[in-house]
Amino acid sequence: MKIRLSKTLVAVATSAVLLTAVPVVGIAESASASVPTYIVGFEGPMTGGAAALGTAAIYGMDLAITVANATLNLPFNVTTINPSSPQANTVYDDQCSGSNGGTEATAAVGVSNLIAMVGPECSGATRTALPIYSAAHVATVSPSATAAALTTGKANNTFMRVVPGDDVQGAADAKFLVKTKGKKKIYVLNDASFYGSGLASVFNTAAKANGAKTTVATLPLSTACTGNGSTSQFASTATLIKNSGATAVYYGGYYCDFGQLLNALHDANYTGAIMSGDGSEDPALLTSVTDPSYASGVYLSIASSGGSIPQWFLNGYNAQSGAPDAASAPYATQAYDSTLMILTAMKAAWHRGISATNLRKAVVTKLHALTYRGITGVIKFQSNGNLTRASVINFYHVLSGQSGAGTTGGYGIVQFAHS
Amino acid sequence: MLNFFSSHWSILQAQFWSLLVIGLANGFIYAMVAIGYTLVYGVLRLINFAHSEVVMSGAFGGYFALRETLGSTIPNGVSSIGYVMLGAVVGALVGALVATFVERVAYRPLRKRNAPKIAFLISAIGASYFLVNLAGKEFGRYNTVLPQPYVNKTAFTFLGAQVQTYYLVIVVFAMIMLVVLDRFVAKSRLGRSIRAVAQDAETASLMGVNIDRTIGLTFIIGGALGGVAGFMIALNTGAIYTMGFVPALKAFTAAVLGGIGNLRGAVLGGLLLGVVESMSVAFVNPAFIDVVAFGILVLVLLFRPTGILGERLGRTA
Repeated sequence: MKIRLSKTLVAVATSAVLLTAVPVVGIAESASASVPTYIVGFEGPMTGGAAALGTAAIYGMDLAITVANATLNLPFNVTTINPSSPQANTVYDDQCSGSNGGTEATAAVGVSNLIAMVGPECSGATRTALPIYSAAHVATVSPSATAAALTTGKANNTFMRVVPGDDVQGAADAKFLVKTKGKKKIYVLNDASFYGSGLASVFNTAAKANGAKTTVATLPLSTACTGNGSTSQFASTATLIKNSGATAVYYGGYYCDFGQLLNALHDANYTGAIMSGDGSEDPALLTSVTDPSYASGVYLSIASSGGSIPQWFLNGYNAQSGAPDAASAPYATQAYDSTLMILTAMKAAWHRGISATNLRKAVVTKLHALTYRGITGVIKFQSNGNLTRASVINFYHVLSGQSGAGTTGGYGIVQFAHS
Repeated sequence: MLNFFSSHWSILQAQFWSLLVIGLANGFIYAMVAIGYTLVYGVLRLINFAHSEVVMSGAFGGYFALRETLGSTIPNGVSSIGYVMLGAVVGALVGALVATFVERVAYRPLRKRNAPKIAFLISAIGASYFLVNLAGKEFGRYNTVLPQPYVNKTAFTFLGAQVQTYYLVIVVFAMIMLVVLDRFVAKSRLGRSIRAVAQDAETASLMGVNIDRTIGLTFIIGGALGGVAGFMIALNTGAIYTMGFVPALKAFTAAVLGGIGNLRGAVLGGLLLGVVESMSVAFVNPAFIDVVAFGILVLVLLFRPTGILGERLGRTA
C-alpha cells in the first residue's frame, strides 16, 4: 500500500511537473513568437528592359537588412530579401511600367506585415502606385524615382526619395551641355515615359533659357524595352538629326532605348555630342548597343552618391552571391540608405503591442522627422518628400576604347560637379 | 500653315533619299511578315494573330545560331554573308516550325470540327499569349543584342544617301525571297495547289488537292518568311519576347493596305507603309508616324475597301 501510494505520489508529482512545464515551454515559445516579423518590400523592375536597376537595388537592400540585424538591435525581425531567389512578399516587379505600378502596389499593401517600401524605382510606376501606398499609409522611399511631379505641391508625402528630382537634374544637364560644352543647337528627345518626358521638358526649358535653340521629338518606349513603340522610328529620326545640323542630342529616357538611339545615330554617322540623364546611367547601356564603342564619349548625369563609395560597402555588396559589381550597380547605395533609414524609423516608431497598420503610419511620421547620415550623404526629407540638402549632380562620359560585342565596361571619369 | 509645309517640305527634299532607303528597308521587313498574313488569309479566310510570335521566334532562332557559331571577332566579306545566311536559315526554320505548331494546335482541330471563325480568332490569341510568355520565361524578359555577323558601316552612297550594310542585307535577302516565292506560287505544282485552295477549297479537294497538306505548306512558307524577318529586325534592335507585336501589327496593316490575300499586294503595302512612315518624320513628331500610316490605311480602305490590289491570291500570284 505504501509502495502503491508512493507510486501514486510520483505519478501525481510527475504529472504536476509536466503540467507546469508545458506552460513554461509554452510561455517561452509565445515569448519568442511575440517578436513580430516585418517586411520592408521593394518595388522596381526585376524583368524587362530596365531589370538591371531592380537587381542592383535589392542586393543593396539585403545588405542593409543584414547590417541592421547585426547593429541596430532591432526589437523585431525583418525578413531578408535573398536577392538570388527573393522571399515571398518582399519583391514586387513592376517592369518600370505605369500600368504595373498600381497592380504591384495593391499586392504589396495587402501583405499585413509589410510596413514600408524601398521604391518604386521608376517614376512612371511610382505615379500609379503612389495613391495606393498613400491610402494604405505605407511609406515609400525611392532610390531613383526622380520625376518632379511626384513631390510638387505635396505635404507629409508618404513618398520620399534620396535623390534629387528631375527639375534639379534637367536644369543642371542643360547648363552643362549649353554653357560648359558650348552646344547651342540641340535635339531634345524623350521616350514618352513619365520620367523621360518630364526630364526632357525641364532640360528643354533650361536649355532655351541658357541660349540654345532646341528641337523636341518623342520616340515612344519601344518593344525592345518592353514598351509598345516601334523600333523602326530610330533610324529615320537619327537621319533627321544628322541632317539638321544639331550639335548635340539630349535624351530623356532609360538606357535600353537609349542604346537603340545610339545604334541609329552611329549608323547615321552622327558626330555631335550626345547626353542622357540618370535613367541611362547603367552598365547595361553598353550591352544595349550593337557595339560598346557606339556609346563612347556619351555624357551621362547622375546625382552624387556622396563622394566615393566606402570600401566596406563594396566588399559587403560584392560578397553577396550573384550580386552585380557594386562599383557600377546603379542606385545600390541609395537602396542601401533607403532601407537602413526605413529600419531606423521602424525601430523608433515601434513599441510592444503596436499594430502593423499603426506602425505603417508611425513610420511615415518618423521618416519625416529623422535625420540620417548614410553613405550617400545626410538624408532629411522635406514635407513634400524631397531632400532638404542641396543636390550635387555629377557628369560622366563613357570611356572610349571599349569595343567588342558583349563587353561591359565601367563608366568614365567625373567631369565636374554642379550643385 | 503654309510656312509649316514649306519648311518641312524642304527638310524632306534635303533628306528624301536617306529616308527612302530606311523606309524601303523597313518596308521589305513588313512585306515579308505581311506575306504570312496574306497566305493564311488566302487559304483559310482568317487572320493568324499568332504570326507576331512566329516573327519573334525566328529572331531567337537566328540569335542562337549566331551565338553558337560566331567567335569574338566580327567577320567580314564572304564570311559575313555566310553567317547572315546561317542566321536567316535558322530563323526561317524556327519560324516555319512555330507556324506549323500553331496550325496543328490552334487551327487544325477547330477546322476538323467546323468551328466558327470567332473560335479561330480566340485560339490564335491564346497561342500568341502562350508563345510570348514561353519565350519570356525561357529566354529572359530583357533585350538580347545579337552577335554581329558583319561590321555595319556605309556600304555605298546613293544620291547622297548613305546606305548601311544592314539595309543592304535586308533589301537583298527580301528581294530574293519574295521573287522566289512569287515564282513558286505561280509556277510550281504546290503553288498551284495553294492557289486552288484559295479559290475554292472544296472543289480543289475534289480535284485531288490535299487540303491539310496545302494549308500546312502555307503556314510553313509564311512562317519561314516571318522568321527571316524577325532575324533581320533583331540584327539591328536585338531580340526580346515582345518584339513581334509592333512589326506584325504594321505588317497586318500592310497586307490590308495592299489587299489581304494578295501576295504582290502585301509587298506593295509593306513598302508603301515603310516609306510613308519614314518620310513622315520630316513632317511630324516621330511619336505620330503611326497616326500618319494608319490614317493613310483608313483613307485607302474608305475608297477601296479591298486594298490597293484587291483580294486575289487564287487568281494570280
